Amino acid sequence: MDFMELLNFYIVPGLVLGSIYALGAVGITLVFAILRYAHLAHGDIATLGAFIAFAAVTLLGLPVYAALPVAMVVTAFAAVGIDRLFYDYLRERPRIVTVMASLGVALMVRSVVQVIWGVDAESYIRGIARPENWWGIRLKDREIVTILSMIGLVLALQLFLMKTKWGKAMRAMSDNPNLALLSGVDNGKVVFLTWLIVGGLCAASGFFLGLNTELKSMMGWQMLLPMFAAAILGGVGRIEGAVLGGLIVGVAEEVSVIFLPSEYKAATAFAILLLMLLVRPTGLLRGKVL
Amino acid sequence: MKNVRLALAGALLGATALAAPAQADVKIGLLGGVSGPIAAMAPAMIDSAQLAIQQVNDQGGILNGEKLVPVVGDSACNPQNATDAATKAVNIEGVIAIVGPHCSGAVLAAANSVAVPAGVVIITPSGTSPEISKLDDKDLVFRTVPSDDFQGRALARTLLERGTNKVAVAYLNNDYGKGLAEAFKVEFEDKGGEIAGFAAHEEGKASYRSDLAELADGGADTLVIFDYGDGAGLTMLRQALENGFFENFVGGDGMKSDAPIKELGAENLTTFTASSPVGAQSEALEVFNEAFKGVGGDPDAIFVTTSYDAAFLAALAIEKAGGDKAKVAEALRSVSDGKGETILPGEWQKAKELIAAGTDIDYKGAAGDHDFDELGDVPGVYALFKVQDGAFVVDTEMK
Amino acid sequence: MEWIGLLNYAVFMAIFICIYGLLALGLNIQWGFSGLFNAGIAGFFAVGAYTSAILTTPEADGRIGGFDMPVPVGWAGAMLLAAAIAWPIGKICLRFRSDYLAIASIGVAEIIRLVIKSEDWLTNSARGVTNIPRPFGDLPYAQSQLAYLALVGGVLFVAYLLVERQIAAPWGRMMRAIRDNELAARAMGKDVPFRRLEAFVFGAALMGLGGALFAHLNRAITPEAIDPMVATFLVWIMLILGGSGNNRGAILGVAVVWVIWSFSEILTDQFPPEIAIKAKYIRIFLIGLMLQLVLRFRPEGILPEPQRGVSGKKDS
Repeated sequence: MDFMELLNFYIVPGLVLGSIYALGAVGITLVFAILRYAHLAHGDIATLGAFIAFAAVTLLGLPVYAALPVAMVVTAFAAVGIDRLFYDYLRERPRIVTVMASLGVALMVRSVVQVIWGVDAESYIRGIARPENWWGIRLKDREIVTILSMIGLVLALQLFLMKTKWGKAMRAMSDNPNLALLSGVDNGKVVFLTWLIVGGLCAASGFFLGLNTELKSMMGWQMLLPMFAAAILGGVGRIEGAVLGGLIVGVAEEVSVIFLPSEYKAATAFAILLLMLLVRPTGLLRGKVL
Repeated sequence: MKNVRLALAGALLGATALAAPAQADVKIGLLGGVSGPIAAMAPAMIDSAQLAIQQVNDQGGILNGEKLVPVVGDSACNPQNATDAATKAVNIEGVIAIVGPHCSGAVLAAANSVAVPAGVVIITPSGTSPEISKLDDKDLVFRTVPSDDFQGRALARTLLERGTNKVAVAYLNNDYGKGLAEAFKVEFEDKGGEIAGFAAHEEGKASYRSDLAELADGGADTLVIFDYGDGAGLTMLRQALENGFFENFVGGDGMKSDAPIKELGAENLTTFTASSPVGAQSEALEVFNEAFKGVGGDPDAIFVTTSYDAAFLAALAIEKAGGDKAKVAEALRSVSDGKGETILPGEWQKAKELIAAGTDIDYKGAAGDHDFDELGDVPGVYALFKVQDGAFVVDTEMK
Repeated sequence: MEWIGLLNYAVFMAIFICIYGLLALGLNIQWGFSGLFNAGIAGFFAVGAYTSAILTTPEADGRIGGFDMPVPVGWAGAMLLAAAIAWPIGKICLRFRSDYLAIASIGVAEIIRLVIKSEDWLTNSARGVTNIPRPFGDLPYAQSQLAYLALVGGVLFVAYLLVERQIAAPWGRMMRAIRDNELAARAMGKDVPFRRLEAFVFGAALMGLGGALFAHLNRAITPEAIDPMVATFLVWIMLILGGSGNNRGAILGVAVVWVIWSFSEILTDQFPPEIAIKAKYIRIFLIGLMLQLVLRFRPEGILPEPQRGVSGKKDS
């Protein structure tokens, strides 16, 4: 196999897939870092976001890319609403209770999607899009948009966390919640902001998954485990780690087909994760040990 | 433990309150994987079975003009939910026949632990695993979908006849995909064809491009996909078309779905063909197609013809058995044994009159003639379909 | 006629409650008493189910075995192999704490699931293992179900007694000490990693037994049965809802969740038949909602962990 073939059919698809995983993993890692539990409804909220964008395209007649911000905003507030309704009052309880609550939310969100939009496969743009040739690298517009948007969103998030007052408050809560509370950080606001961001990122990952393949009611749930693997791989609580983890998982899944029978593709993420945990139990970039 | 008993007692009381069936109705269970991995396929399958029941009720009802009532249960494509749904259907609703479940694993569990011990006939429209034939089933387990073996082999022979003698095969890693792929492979290689790539894939992944690249490496220009056209098969077909990996695409009956036409566009599917079971009298399929369109259904959805046939056959058998649960299996064989007056889909009134007159009838279904063999399996008659004017039309008959 | 049907349904539910009760007891040992976040229940369930299936089925083509052994041998084998698999996994993974252990164990379970689903020679891959003998399977339906219930009920009862005894013994006290304050326990000279491993292996053996009982109930085991939703997450919901750290709570949680799970379908069947399929989606919504309600009003579980050994302090 020559290098261009490896690049075009294994690395590039892996990076596109990895960008989708990365968007989900960043959200998961934020919840881990600030709220400190595993949020199992993440995949299904991504599905919800993807279908909200679908509604914006079909009902409002928006162009596809204009549907993304709409879906991000709506899903962000949906995520805040879910937190208020189902997670907030469990905050003082052991975290495992909230994990279970998120599993219940996953079931509920999925059934809402199925009742409203049905279970048929849908897509934003009918028909197929053939890739264009960029100096030998075959890329479709939507793939370029996927990768660039991921980078843009993550950079914006990093800027927000580093430069703004509320971003700093979020980081403080993540580093040392007691100290942060003592210093007068408003916990409620931090939680609100976290869910806004997480909801938006969920919608983005669902949107790009739908854009590059199809929209299905189970699509988010099926992405959940690799996204978790990516978040842990990169080091819990590290945004750039989640991005790195997502890209590694995406590329590893695609490249694994060369070495392994393809039915084991789904196991690649976990095999890498287990190996990495053996060597570096804190994740690639040093994460927190919860 | 006391609390467990309390909870159970509560469960019992609740069930008594809720289950108040009108005695006159004849009930039939429709179990399907409404939630779970085949959620996208199940609704159309259940709708087509409902169409059969609606036709029965519109044309004079069953037995002495009683209503045939469907009891829809969610088998979720796993044994846990399938046995739960089957237990409820048999014990609480008192169904006398079950159409479904959809997935082979669910069929095995529901048959073994509920239907066969309770003496209820179970007809699956889509459980294709050869393990179902091997069940010790007291002649109660049937299927209207041929075992994978028939279709895989027929497809292999047809492709060779059409001059395609080098293919790559991609199949979904479950009993359906694997069964078809293996039968296809054996026959194709036996008859001198070359398999230039043979790989399984898991469902629900976002990218299959590396799988496709690996398969294309063998140098074949035809890709055979054994998957579902509204699941991973659609993603795979899309990515193969977009990246130009293969020129021709051939699918099994799972790929003959409207989803590729709807999502990818008919103009992109000129080189796509899919095999699907048809009746020896193709008018049976047309009759069904018209009727199903009439109630807003899509006749190209996956396994709708076998589901319809399963439900219609169950109704015929119940009528013939006089509503006696113990005789349904025997009656099922006799209404579809290739002998007697032909009954086409939807001809309930005619069938009812003939049964009342004691005349032997023979149902010729939308998905085949359904002459059950001793294992409760049906031989398949297949045709290769192509996409034309945004719909599937028969391209070649398959032998 | 009517009440016999209801009785059959109740017996079926009870059998399921007993089987999942074993899984919940196993998880309770790991999480409730030892604080080990094992999210790979499906893996041990699968190992148990397939081990017993392969040991007890008659000779079959194309896969390993069957060895046609008596059913009790299969069950013992299921426990042993599940424990044997848990040992190296625990050895490697138990040094990760909480969420890391969870994702590592999910990963192991997924790998086990893929192997079972893909390897013809071992498990007959996606088609599964059939012809598994069922104890009392030759009796008529109702009697056979009752007899199987007596059997699994007996197994669960024995397991419950054993676990209770172990938890009340010094071992149980030590495990709770390790869970609640690892440093203190270590300072007292307890071999923390080894004790954790003990709990992990013990719990896994019970999960394996649960898998074996499930395979024999259905006379078949297929990869669909070991989906993470029905074989891992569901068990977690049961334990947390029922009350982690309390064995009776764990079993009660199983009963409550199965009743919710199964009953919600009877409820949604009351919707008009035109929306029969939508009703199934609404059912899933109801299941989720009812879980939230239980968590809202009993966040510590329906039967919380008793305050053991605190004299002078009333149980609240």
